Amino acid sequence: MSGFKRDRQGNAKKHDGPKQSPKSIVRNAYTPMFEQLRDELDEHHDRRDRIGKASRDVTALSKKIIFSLQRVRKIEEQLPADIQTEIDLRLAEISKLLASIAPDVQAINRYRYSRSLVCLEELVEALTFLHYLKTQTLISHKELDPIVEDLTRKGAAKEDEVMTNAPDAAAPDPEQSTPAQETEALTISLTDDDYVYGLFDLTGEMMRFATTTSALTGKMASADFGEDESESRDIVQDMHDLGSFFEMLPLRSGNRIQWEKKLEVMRQSVQKVEKLGYDMKVRGSERPKGWVPDLSSNDQPGSPE
Amino acid sequence: MAPAMIDPALFEELKTKIEEDTVVRKELDRIIDDLSQQVSFSQGVLSRIHSTPRSKYTILLPQVEDGIRKEIQCVGTLSSFASRNPYYKYNHKWVRTVQEAISTVLLCAWLGGLGSEARPGEVGRLMTLEEVGAVFAVPVNLKDRDAFHITIEDYLLALINIIDELSRLAMNSVTMGDNELAVLISSFVKDLHAGFQVLNLKNDILRKRVDSIKYAVKKVEDVVYDLSLRNLIPAKMDE
Repeated sequence: MSGFKRDRQGNAKKHDGPKQSPKSIVRNAYTPMFEQLRDELDEHHDRRDRIGKASRDVTALSKKIIFSLQRVRKIEEQLPADIQTEIDLRLAEISKLLASIAPDVQAINRYRYSRSLVCLEELVEALTFLHYLKTQTLISHKELDPIVEDLTRKGAAKEDEVMTNAPDAAAPDPEQSTPAQETEALTISLTDDDYVYGLFDLTGEMMRFATTTSALTGKMASADFGEDESESRDIVQDMHDLGSFFEMLPLRSGNRIQWEKKLEVMRQSVQKVEKLGYDMKVRGSERPKGWVPDLSSNDQPGSPE
Repeated sequence: MAPAMIDPALFEELKTKIEEDTVVRKELDRIIDDLSQQVSFSQGVLSRIHSTPRSKYTILLPQVEDGIRKEIQCVGTLSSFASRNPYYKYNHKWVRTVQEAISTVLLCAWLGGLGSEARPGEVGRLMTLEEVGAVFAVPVNLKDRDAFHITIEDYLLALINIIDELSRLAMNSVTMGDNELAVLISSFVKDLHAGFQVLNLKNDILRKRVDSIKYAVKKVEDVVYDLSLRNLIPAKMDE
């Protein structure tokens, strides 16, 4: 260690020179202006930190929802009860997190922090996937908006309940200057980018789902559309539809590189699923009907809950 | 027949949105390009400060002010167009150009330009964020509504640009025999440097640029050192 200087007698010297003195600022004509700007910038940094933290948690929760959904084996309106419970719990947590940052991302601040709010893409992925597994259709931006808004509102409502239960407790987050919060719960809106990029990621989840279900059930995932099998469509067709959907969209001029990267990943997912469809057609018939690989009981399709 | 996975209306809606977005971007590119031309003209005229003695500023600064007037027009166009969309959705497209425009205004005012009846121009004047907003006739640091404005970051980054330019001027003014100006710049740059130390910076572009101020400080200190060594600092300014 040579962290300090010694004088001629060999005793450690105290820090010398003005450089070592604690960062004391000599005030000058511009100091007040900078102090005022500092306060404004601090407010912005704090807000960004709050959003970033909540966003990371929402991303993690959304991923967990997706993991739960990947354990579904069939496209049908009613998810298995245990999976539905897991999802409801995660959504409730997401609700609270979204409500906590809703005041920070209103009006002009919505796009200001959109890079800190990447969690919404992940949430869109989870919600569109959930919707697909229940209905085998793609949910639109318009239909999704009220769902996310509702999530945010519910989270805020829960906080209110806590407050009424403990009337003596100080109001949470007094530093948030949003008087509107008390009258009407604020919501978070999805941007077009959140939606589209969420959809891109949905194709990856559908590919994973198609792979597992076809391996475990021996057929391509499809909703039960009634008696006539010829009228139903399966996930191979859906992937093709979704693929063409993206291919037909005009190239986004905003973030071309990201767009093209996502497009490429999407194409690969489509091709993986069509290969599955082919395999199933050619070799699927060789499997005995009703053959199911050896699995843990709760993974088996149609097992009693 | 089973319903299709994707409602055709969904596609149309998304396609329209992307097309609208592209139209906005193209129009912004055009407006920003105009502004950028005016800014680089003003910057070009301003570059002549390095070879123009202070006594000739009365000829030089009006030319800069002409350029700035055109910048103001372009910023006006940008402001009214950009305000139709969320500010932070597209602001990355124009921040650099707008910051450079602000720099030309700050520098011109510091050199004694952009004076008014109420406040005649004087060398060494630092325009505040509000004053810059008034020059461009746009709001600053907007929080309560979503429209075009000049942000704190824009102002601070523009300020750092002129610190660089002034540190260069300190040297050249000595070459032109104006030692007083060099000393004036030195104290201004040092004051601003101290000012920037007041800020709590995060790891972003602002921090990176603020870190560069110390080189400007060193440059002006070297000039003043050379002067004081040779007793060339004007008597009334000698500390």
